[in-house]
Amino acid sequence: MSKGKVWKYGDDVNTDVIYAGKYTYQQMRPEEMASHALEDLDPEFAKDVRPGDVIVAGKNFGCGSSREQAAACLRAAGVQAVVAKSFARIYFRNAINLGLPVLQSEEASKNLKSGDDVEIDFGGGKIISGEKVFKFPPLPDSVIGILEAGGLLEWTKKKLERAK
Amino acid sequence: MGQTIIEKIIQLHSKDEAVSGRIVWMDLDIRSARDFGGPNVVKHYEREYRDSPLADKSKTFFTFDLCAPACTLKYADNQQACRDFARRHGIEVFDVDRGIGSHVLIEEGLARPGSTIVGTDSHMNVLGAVGCFGQGMGDVDIAFAFKTGTTWFEVPESVKVVLIGKPSAATDAKDLTLFLGKELGTKKIALRSAEFYGETVKDLGLAGRITFCSMITEMAGIIGFIPEYGAELAGEMKRFSGRAFSPASADKDALYADSLKLDVTGLPPQVAVPPSPNSVKSLAEVRGTRIDSGFIGSCTNGRTEDFARAAEILRIRKVKKSVMLKVVPATRRVYEELLKRGILETLFESGAIVVNPGCGGCAEGHVGLTGKGETQISTGNRNFPGKQGKGRTYLASPAVVAASCVAGEIAGPEDL
Repeated sequence: MSKGKVWKYGDDVNTDVIYAGKYTYQQMRPEEMASHALEDLDPEFAKDVRPGDVIVAGKNFGCGSSREQAAACLRAAGVQAVVAKSFARIYFRNAINLGLPVLQSEEASKNLKSGDDVEIDFGGGKIISGEKVFKFPPLPDSVIGILEAGGLLEWTKKKLERAK
Repeated sequence: MGQTIIEKIIQLHSKDEAVSGRIVWMDLDIRSARDFGGPNVVKHYEREYRDSPLADKSKTFFTFDLCAPACTLKYADNQQACRDFARRHGIEVFDVDRGIGSHVLIEEGLARPGSTIVGTDSHMNVLGAVGCFGQGMGDVDIAFAFKTGTTWFEVPESVKVVLIGKPSAATDAKDLTLFLGKELGTKKIALRSAEFYGETVKDLGLAGRITFCSMITEMAGIIGFIPEYGAELAGEMKRFSGRAFSPASADKDALYADSLKLDVTGLPPQVAVPPSPNSVKSLAEVRGTRIDSGFIGSCTNGRTEDFARAAEILRIRKVKKSVMLKVVPATRRVYEELLKRGILETLFESGAIVVNPGCGGCAEGHVGLTGKGETQISTGNRNFPGKQGKGRTYLASPAVVAASCVAGEIAGPEDL
């Protein structure tokens, strides 16, 4: 389990503020993408985010366009997971396919605040912050497998290599 | 416990237990990519899987419908990149002559009741019209589906929606789906599968079902099914696939997340006003709004019946001189029917511009874009700002679009 700090945001955080449309068709290295993450929502984020940090948000995180970079840029920034009340469908898929854990927990979303220390027990389905423990429905083994491999395409490559 | 339709279809394609809320691995009967998204699917595939074979080339297709034939160099390059990939792997391409991919899959008998299909089209769930679980996905997902023939999916909860009463005779399936958008918005069936019941929807044929199910995406739903059907639909579907039409039905004790009743008694024609497909008013409220152009087509209203309805209105009338009416059949088969049944001639004589099959104006396709200050009335499914250019787009049925193009302002057939 790695530790990090909470970055707290509200409801309906859309893909435009996570990763601006003007960058969508520019080819960028992961670290460049990370430098633009959440640029239009919180300019401090890209500067101060540390590997292991966790984004905590309200309902419908990742709504709007289907751009995959909106998940890729957070992963590149070292974000350990996004915890929200709910996720937009395409964002949820893209995040897992790109290796960014997305966890649903209404309680964690309500109770955690910016700057809280937090760690996540993926297998046990627990988000731990000091004395407080919030549960989330543990992800199925297959999805954990995808996340551990670093995304869907990496996961298949490994699976195909093993089958050889 | 009993199963909903979506649970049944997914269960038939998965070793995991298909209970709503659970993420399962699901086998795909068909995986497809179009000229939008397709080139990135090819890129991802070649980068990650090199020249290794597809899971099953006979179940993998390209369908070019968005910019067909290509009218920009970028699209020409992208389509050719897909064709080259298809040749190397022996995949069939439904090329730029064929029309809207989801519709072609139905006509080819590939989209069958109970089957699972993914593609790069966000309106792939229009296939719910024929009891098939269709779903639009991102490029990474589709590259993976090409390679493995499977995908992961969270089994959605289901909502039962019963339509009560008989709408006015001036309406058709489009008015129903617009009304649905108004009533359900983007919350009530969000991330869920919807099952629609009631005499009004039961009686819909294929074209009406396609229209009705095509705007579930605009309501943030996963898919919509109309489980009950009449002999007309069964006959149409049998002609396409050569097989008896037998869609899944829900168990009596299936568990629904919500159950809604909508009264459509006497429903008048509906019009979605800019900037959202769910901001819907009755025709009476927007009657008289001046228009510059009309569009009949799209995956929502591109079937022969849609153009036949417009032709009834345009048979003895002309499109107003100041108005452009653009007509785009959904598929080559529809185009052929328009030609053979004299509908094409009627539309031509009325002054309409009839072009080859495809998607038309959605996502900067080839026909149906608006300029700044232009007001369009369209049978399409989205009128978000910028979706069809810089103008303002109203959404309505083929009858209302045809009548409006005669009047030069928003009107119904009874106003002419």
